[in-house]
Amino acid sequence: MLSGEPMERQEFRAPEINGVAPAPKAKKPEKAKPVPDPLVKVEDLSLFYGTKQALQDINMNIPRRQVTAFIGPSGCGKSTLLRCFNRLNDLIDDCRIEGEISINGKSIFNSDVDITDLRKRVGMVFQKSNPFPKSIYENVAYGARIAGIKKKSVLDDIVEKNLKRAALWDEVNDRLNDSAMGLSGGQQQRLCIARAIAVEPDVLLMDEPCSALDPIATAKIEDLVTELKNKFTIVIVTHNMQQAARVSDYTAFMYIGDIVEFDTTEKIFLNPAKKHTEDYVSGKFG
Amino acid sequence: MSSDQTDELGIEEGSKQKQIRRRKLYDRLARHVVFVGGAGIIFCIIAILFFIGIETIPLWKSPGKKLESVSEMEDRLASGAPSGQVRIFDIGVDEYREQFFTVDSLGSVRFFTLEEEPKLLKTHTVSHKTTGYASFYSARTNTSYAIADREGYVVPFEVSFRVEFREGTERTIVSRVTEGDALRVAEEPIEMFAYQSSPETGAPVVVAYTASKRLLAYAEVEEEGFLGESETEVFTTDLTGELGGAVVTGVQVDSEAENLYVSTANGKLYHWSLSDPSSPELKSMLAATADPGVAVTRIGFLLGHRSLIVGDAAGNVSVWFETTSGGEESRLAKIHVFPPLPAAVDRFSASQRGRGFLASDTSGNISLYQATSAAKQLDFPGRGKPYAGLSFSPKANGVVAVDSDMMLSSYYLDNPHPETNFRTLFGKIWYEGYDRPRYVWQSTGGTDEFEPKFSLTPLAYGTLKGAIYTMILSIPLAILAAICVSQFLHPSIRNVVKPVIEVMAALPSVVLGFLAGLWLAPLLEKIFVATLVMPFMVIGLTLFALFLWHRLPFSFSGRFRVGAELFTLVGVIGIAVVLSLWLNGPLESLIFAGDFRDWFFSMFDLRYDQRNMLVVGFAMGFTVIPIIFTISEDALSSVPRTLSAGSLALGANRWQTAMRIVLPAASAGIFSAVMIGFGRAVGETMIVLMATGNTPVMDWSFFNGFRALSANIAVELPEAPHGGTLYRVLFLTAILLFAVTFLLNTLAEVLSQRLRRKYAQSDA
Repeated sequence: MLSGEPMERQEFRAPEINGVAPAPKAKKPEKAKPVPDPLVKVEDLSLFYGTKQALQDINMNIPRRQVTAFIGPSGCGKSTLLRCFNRLNDLIDDCRIEGEISINGKSIFNSDVDITDLRKRVGMVFQKSNPFPKSIYENVAYGARIAGIKKKSVLDDIVEKNLKRAALWDEVNDRLNDSAMGLSGGQQQRLCIARAIAVEPDVLLMDEPCSALDPIATAKIEDLVTELKNKFTIVIVTHNMQQAARVSDYTAFMYIGDIVEFDTTEKIFLNPAKKHTEDYVSGKFG
Repeated sequence: MSSDQTDELGIEEGSKQKQIRRRKLYDRLARHVVFVGGAGIIFCIIAILFFIGIETIPLWKSPGKKLESVSEMEDRLASGAPSGQVRIFDIGVDEYREQFFTVDSLGSVRFFTLEEEPKLLKTHTVSHKTTGYASFYSARTNTSYAIADREGYVVPFEVSFRVEFREGTERTIVSRVTEGDALRVAEEPIEMFAYQSSPETGAPVVVAYTASKRLLAYAEVEEEGFLGESETEVFTTDLTGELGGAVVTGVQVDSEAENLYVSTANGKLYHWSLSDPSSPELKSMLAATADPGVAVTRIGFLLGHRSLIVGDAAGNVSVWFETTSGGEESRLAKIHVFPPLPAAVDRFSASQRGRGFLASDTSGNISLYQATSAAKQLDFPGRGKPYAGLSFSPKANGVVAVDSDMMLSSYYLDNPHPETNFRTLFGKIWYEGYDRPRYVWQSTGGTDEFEPKFSLTPLAYGTLKGAIYTMILSIPLAILAAICVSQFLHPSIRNVVKPVIEVMAALPSVVLGFLAGLWLAPLLEKIFVATLVMPFMVIGLTLFALFLWHRLPFSFSGRFRVGAELFTLVGVIGIAVVLSLWLNGPLESLIFAGDFRDWFFSMFDLRYDQRNMLVVGFAMGFTVIPIIFTISEDALSSVPRTLSAGSLALGANRWQTAMRIVLPAASAGIFSAVMIGFGRAVGETMIVLMATGNTPVMDWSFFNGFRALSANIAVELPEAPHGGTLYRVLFLTAILLFAVTFLLNTLAEVLSQRLRRKYAQSDA
């Protein structure tokens, strides 16, 4: 842990060195589109890999308990933006962030933010399902265990509740102690969702959660997303525009590190304000 | 793209076909070359093992015998004297088993060719004038003898054989008898006696049992007279009184002329010290048979004259020697008991090449025994008659015996490695002069009479001790380093650290061993206390420094490059080392009362050797740590990033992620790394050769040395003559070493496969 500290510090440092105050800037005009009850606010967010800029002055608000989809062609920075929310980009060397993200009005780049606590509040599901090489039970209980919960009955409850939430309980309740590696791809992905929501996050980030799944498994995940938005704020990155149209309430179309248009999903797909967006959603390029 | 186009543009069908054929040919060729290479290597390894195995096979072979000739000798042996009046005392053989000789009651030594029809070559009659000889003593088998006559004279003589090469190639054995001066030991016929000459002064010592049942010790002592001239004084001591009326059945004096052993018909064994030849001192009197009614019928010496073979009327055969077992005082004790002979023990003949001996009984059975392993090796069925002479040939490859019917039998004996069997190689053996059965490796000694001790157990023990302690020192360091480098360090530092550690593995182990033995060992002895303190000091100061760094205001520490604190740590570790060295003297006088060696010895009875396990551990760490580190680091680094990202995304910190997710997922690789490191530690030769002192002791103490299997081969190689027992035992050592490494590697592979399956990554 001790020697791990500097990598996190590097990220703390970025705003200071560039003279950006960590606190939200009142002086700047509100650039992002107002949404009802925003949970996550992104202000002037720029991200650099070395000298290459991957995100350019992103401003957006993400509404509470809604599904927000990021669409856009490959390499447009959807996943990069997503990973800013739980600061998973910290793992990447020579990645530098400027600007501000706040969740519930609190900056996530502040030096007093405990990064592990942030990540508990911002759960994530990855593109490729990544169950730990442990039992199904241990996968779901992992978050609780590292938070220090040892009591078996509590863990049992957590596992059952979240497997049910992830609509996986009926399929696996008789083999909780089997390796998670023995599940099918769709089951593994739902297990990862169960694992992520087991720590009761405020925000659930989903990075192309269905890209490796067949249509039936995809449909199950999509149903699950619709189900879960009653409880969680969900941000989903997807390549699949039908999926975005099906599951999301808001959609952001991104292109080369910039948000081209961000609005309700209905608006983006039926009546986009920009020609560029229309071309993309209608399949003229991509 | 372009080649496709060219193809479509116009390469003809024929040349296309040709190209396909050529590619097929190359493919087939490559496949065959790869197959031949792979199969060849496997074949070579098997062949090497096979040849090593062949070299060790004779060690396990049970001895074989071949009856070469049986001859009727009556007429030849009795020639010149009325039948039945000549008594054969004993028989001897030359080194090449071409001639044998008999000693008879006429005082004649007759040499014959050893073949189906023996031819008389020569007769030598002792020049001492007498009416006839009554008894005989063999001081050394096949060479040194003495006969005693009816008037109480003892005549010593030597039989020697010289090899001459005539006409270039033909080998001729020339025999020779050298007589000594006759000694007047008693005034009456001597029934039984023992004769030796002191190896220092050459002064004779005779102990005789006379017709009137008196036991007399006769010794000549040279003394300087008044005028400086040497005078020989003769002492004759009557020991009869100390026997308590028992009938003597055997008298033996060892080749040092210092110990007299007498056996009696009431089953007793007496031991006198002849250190002062003028007054023998009775040291012990023991019951040698279970029942006093059973007589001791024969006693004799093994090679080296330190072990006494005792045979009794019930056919029991045992070997006795002086040992300190069970007390401070060294005393004679029954050590090995052998399977008995069918009838009363009659004669012994000891091998001149080891601890084997022949024993015959009154009904003509001969058995070959091996004292070291306390085993009976062979039986030679007799013809029901007791033997008049029995001789083990000088090279221990033949047996010649003549029975009371003057039938001569000659056997060829195929027993090249009598001293090795499973027990002597791996078990506890009670060696001559030891206080109890032990595992001992001592392959060579100063004299031919040395008893070789071939227990491989101390060597295997040494190998394991070295490897296990090395692993205890290396595993935590190597794996923690691998976790640190792969999980916590910035990749730019990792790219420097990893190759540097890998270079350590490239250091020739002979250099490490040399440094460890000649530089580190004396140094460590000097700064031993500092070495003990150092790990704690380094860890403590490092943690303290990191704690301080943590508490520094960010505005200060944030100014440094990532990982800068690691370079600060180099300085901190330096300070810790210097501090430990500085504390060496004060701590040693404070805790260990001035000298840690004395302290350890008085407190724990621990001996501190300069070349010890600690030194070896440090040196071996240099070879083992890089191996474990590199492979573990690779295994840890190859755990998919998505797994650790998944863990981090759940709010786990880096330590939790490393310990709960990355480490288990990499466990198969780390396990392999440890086992490969262990294999390396087991097979390591140069360091253990140079830094351990090579004493084959069996002691888990950290502060003394050991001898490893690998080092043993290197140490003993120059001592091992081709085809000898040591030579074959060294091959066996090699097999053992191979077996250990093979087993370890197989075990490692099996277990790591299992781990790999358990923590297998899904291939979604």
